[in-house]
Amino acid sequence: MFTPGSKFFLGLTGFSLAVCVLYIALVDNATGGAVALLSIAAASGVVAGLSLFNRDGEVAVGDTAAPAGAEQLSSSMWPLIASVGFVGVVAGLITHPIVFFLGLIALLAAGTEWLVQSWSEGASSDKAYNASLRGRMLHPLEFPVLALVGLGIIILSFSRVMLAVSRDAGAIIFIVVGSAVLFVGAIFALKPSLKKTLVVGICVASAVGIAASGIAAASNGLRDDLVKAKKEHHFSHKECGEEEGEHFDHLAEGTISMRSNPIATIELRDGKLTARELGVDKVTQTITFPRSNDATIIFRNKDEREARLTAYLGTKAVQDGVVEEVLNCTQMIGIDHEQALTFKIAKPSMASEKPYTLTVPGLEGQSIEIMVP
Amino acid sequence: MSAKTRRIVAGVSGLAATSFLASCAKDAPQDTWQPKGTNAKIIDDLQQPVFAIAGVIGVIVFCAVVYCIIKFRDRGQAMPEQTHGKPALEIGMTILPALILAGVGVFTFRTVFDLSKTSDTQMVVNVTGQQWWWEYDYPAQPELGITAPIITSGQMVIPVGTKVLLRETSRDVIHSYWIPALNGKRDAVPGRVHTLRLDADKPGIYAGQCTEFCGLSHANMRMETIALSKEDFAAWVANQLADAKSPAENTLAKEGEAVFLNQCVRCHQVNGLKKADGTPAIAAPDENVWSGAAPNLTHLMSRNTFGGASWDLLNKKCRADVWGASSETVGKKYLAGVSEECLNQTDLRRWLRNAPAMKPMYADPTQLSSTNGKYRGMPNLGLSEDDIDKLVAYLSTLK
Repeated sequence: MFTPGSKFFLGLTGFSLAVCVLYIALVDNATGGAVALLSIAAASGVVAGLSLFNRDGEVAVGDTAAPAGAEQLSSSMWPLIASVGFVGVVAGLITHPIVFFLGLIALLAAGTEWLVQSWSEGASSDKAYNASLRGRMLHPLEFPVLALVGLGIIILSFSRVMLAVSRDAGAIIFIVVGSAVLFVGAIFALKPSLKKTLVVGICVASAVGIAASGIAAASNGLRDDLVKAKKEHHFSHKECGEEEGEHFDHLAEGTISMRSNPIATIELRDGKLTARELGVDKVTQTITFPRSNDATIIFRNKDEREARLTAYLGTKAVQDGVVEEVLNCTQMIGIDHEQALTFKIAKPSMASEKPYTLTVPGLEGQSIEIMVP
Repeated sequence: MSAKTRRIVAGVSGLAATSFLASCAKDAPQDTWQPKGTNAKIIDDLQQPVFAIAGVIGVIVFCAVVYCIIKFRDRGQAMPEQTHGKPALEIGMTILPALILAGVGVFTFRTVFDLSKTSDTQMVVNVTGQQWWWEYDYPAQPELGITAPIITSGQMVIPVGTKVLLRETSRDVIHSYWIPALNGKRDAVPGRVHTLRLDADKPGIYAGQCTEFCGLSHANMRMETIALSKEDFAAWVANQLADAKSPAENTLAKEGEAVFLNQCVRCHQVNGLKKADGTPAIAAPDENVWSGAAPNLTHLMSRNTFGGASWDLLNKKCRADVWGASSETVGKKYLAGVSEECLNQTDLRRWLRNAPAMKPMYADPTQLSSTNGKYRGMPNLGLSEDDIDKLVAYLSTLK
């Protein structure tokens, strides 16, 4: 009843109207976008009517019987998907870039599939041969893309689960799921005679299960300690004062810069802060820092409490007449742990009203002066 | 001997004589065969025997090849009997080079470990490379009289007989520090600090050259290490710790100070220089130069080169007097700095007139989009001749 051309334009009309309704409901000042979407719906509706009326321009197709032996063409979903993609592109232009790109991907994919399907169905009168021809053209594209999308969904879903459950539960889930994958994979390998439908069924059921768990976990949100760490600016690492974030990175010493050679090592031991410069075999309370050059120091905590090293690096004007201190600091460092801190001081010490210093917040009377020539 | 053979012998003899005479250069300040410091001597002690062994082997191989070429040349004789393999000879010719290399390797490793020793360091200097000059900053070391950090460029001054540890790094690309008379090379790498030990036996001026290709003016990135007696070094330190003095009022130098404040202080620091309102003038090379630094000029005339140590601040006569001085007198002559009579005004004026014309640098304002408008090197400031006169007068006061 519906010709391929009319399917595309009817789909375009329907989705344009649906997006238009959503757009008017969700977006302020939607007049311009709504007019554009309605125009597309109206235009595509007219073209869909014309396509139906003249049978896509092939008048004889509907009026005459098919020749003997001719096979009926298979139905196609690609016109529908292409219309969804087209609407996504238009909707994305007036809403969000992500909608635009998803629409574009759908439009290009559906267009390619539609094109190749139409071409292959005209290759011969043998339906099986035409299908194999299509497969040769599109399977090298379809399989990797579908595998990538499938794996992406599984990984994303699994990660949502791991972020939602507690650390201990996460470890247990990881062990159980890993063992299950190994066990089922071993069965599949050892029993090649298993029914194909059974294997496919188990894989699909597992994938659906993981995806459903992921959706449920994502709707439940992050576990409490991650929410708290986020509130404490753990990820942007903004604490340079005495306040103590509960969820700091206990393995901060694994940073890459630890492997590069630092210009000095700052040590906190028995409540005293001392420095030892590279190549100089004595402790000091002053280090010389290269001017206008990124350099690294190591903070080593040998004290009996957690501590952080904070570098005062002068001031900067944030707006006319308003000056704020420039600070840089390590994470809160656990006992017997250490972390590298890399920073740059552009101006010599003489340019700063207060000396550049390294201090431990909360520890009075202890500081290392940074001299910048 | 045929005419042809005579021509060949004459040609080869001429080439050999030229090569031999080339090794007799008197003015060769970067000669690797004349060590003047402990570490350079350690290297020399290795390279002399290795060079001798390699030379002997080279001569033997060369003679064998020449002998075979002449002895077995084609004279229409019958093909000699062909043999396949001489196990004893082949094994011997494998084992002998392996033994020689193993022997060289043992001594090389020992030398490498000797050179890396830093535990008995007596003085530290931070060395920073950037396109295309070297900066030296001396951390405070009261036991050496350095009560506050000192910063200079182009020429590094060290006390004689003192084990100096260089902590090398770079602000932009990889450079390599090499004073052949005092030690081997060591790369200066951004984000890393590499150490290199130097010491000099006698007072003198030891020349070097950046040995890692670092861009447009790599060839113009030179440096010198000046070794002074301990007394002379103390005098040098005392001078470097002092701030620059402002020139007397109503002089050309005072007008030059105003030009400097207007033009040069954007990048170049002169310690002690004050703005018209009496506040210290602080340079902002970080806002104008890609590497974020420009040479500190507080004591420009206490060193005798400029522009990455590639041009002399001393005129030819005075330069010859300082560089040709004996180890007993070089300290005093160096500490005298650049007097008005000795100033190489020609090159200094050329530099102020258009520095990129003397030393290729990335200083075209229309081509700086990749560096966010920042220069690599000194731009042409478009100074008038009048301003150049004033600036030369002012710079001459920076002793």
